[in-house]
Amino acid sequence: MSESGNKRKSYSLASFRILVVEDYPFMADLLASMAREFGVGHILVANSGNEAKEMIMMFNSDPRGNNIDLVITDWLMPDGDGKELLQWIRDSKKDMIKFLPVILCSAYTSESVVITGRDFGANEVLVKPLSAKKLADRILHVIDHPRPFIKTEFFFGPDRRRREEEYKGEERRVTQSDDIKEYNERL
Amino acid sequence: MSDSDKKVEVFHRVNKLKLKAGAHLHDGPGYIDPHAIERAQTVVQKRENLYRNEVEDNLKRLSKAWEKLKSADASKIEEGKEELYHYANHIKDLAATYKYELMKDFGQSLRSFCEKIDTDKKEHLAIVQAHIDVMTVAYKQNIKDSGGEQAEELKAMVNKAIEKYM
Repeated sequence: MSESGNKRKSYSLASFRILVVEDYPFMADLLASMAREFGVGHILVANSGNEAKEMIMMFNSDPRGNNIDLVITDWLMPDGDGKELLQWIRDSKKDMIKFLPVILCSAYTSESVVITGRDFGANEVLVKPLSAKKLADRILHVIDHPRPFIKTEFFFGPDRRRREEEYKGEERRVTQSDDIKEYNERL
Repeated sequence: MSDSDKKVEVFHRVNKLKLKAGAHLHDGPGYIDPHAIERAQTVVQKRENLYRNEVEDNLKRLSKAWEKLKSADASKIEEGKEELYHYANHIKDLAATYKYELMKDFGQSLRSFCEKIDTDKKEHLAIVQAHIDVMTVAYKQNIKDSGGEQAEELKAMVNKAIEKYM
């Protein structure tokens, strides 16, 4: 039922295809199992950033295919870490790849990691230790609060500003409204 | 800054995930079945019985990686440190998930120290060994909390040593 009926909708994730990227098999399996319990229909697991790139290339090269909808990646991994994978995704020439939602898993709780993740184009950051509630919350946030993608000379990724808040300090933005070009995707 | 440098492009994408989840684009926020979330958390908890085997396995690998690193020639030192780092990270993740505080603290501390290890300094060798020894004791005695007063003292000593020899 829609919001107009004042009832929230229970999502079905049966047609979702999620890629879990984690080098530690135990944690990869834990994430995949949680997603399966949420009802995610298709779960892929890659053991490294490099393996993830191959899978994304395979599934997301054809816009009419069964694409990967969401990537959940660990931050620290040998053989291609989360940061490198994110950069590769956001630098892609293919829309099916560069706009892919990415949830970054990190054990660091510091603000700097969250900022770094955002600066590299992550949609959400999931702070370890893992729990089902935390994972569900991050997935829901990606579904319910998608942010427009911003492209500047130095950045491509979801808008890093979460909320429109009044800023009382000195105006430091150099971009004028004439310099902003907007693109609206249509179905 | 040239004019082209200041250009900002904004892409408003159709929320295909929302459609895929069975909602309409203008519907408000939805939810994942709370029973499914509960079941998922039960899966996490059930796997706690694998914790000891997993830690044992990772501790063995960690110790092996440490022995290899101590005798590694210069060209292999970075690779060795990385290996040590990843096993410490695995143990830390595992212990954090199941709230084995002492194991988590020492796994995390060892992981942070890995980036700074100088294998030519005997104090650094002692610091790494102290981490591995405490983690081994925590495993053998199946210590789930922070390990009590003694463990706190040990933690403080190791932290002091790290500060002193960095």
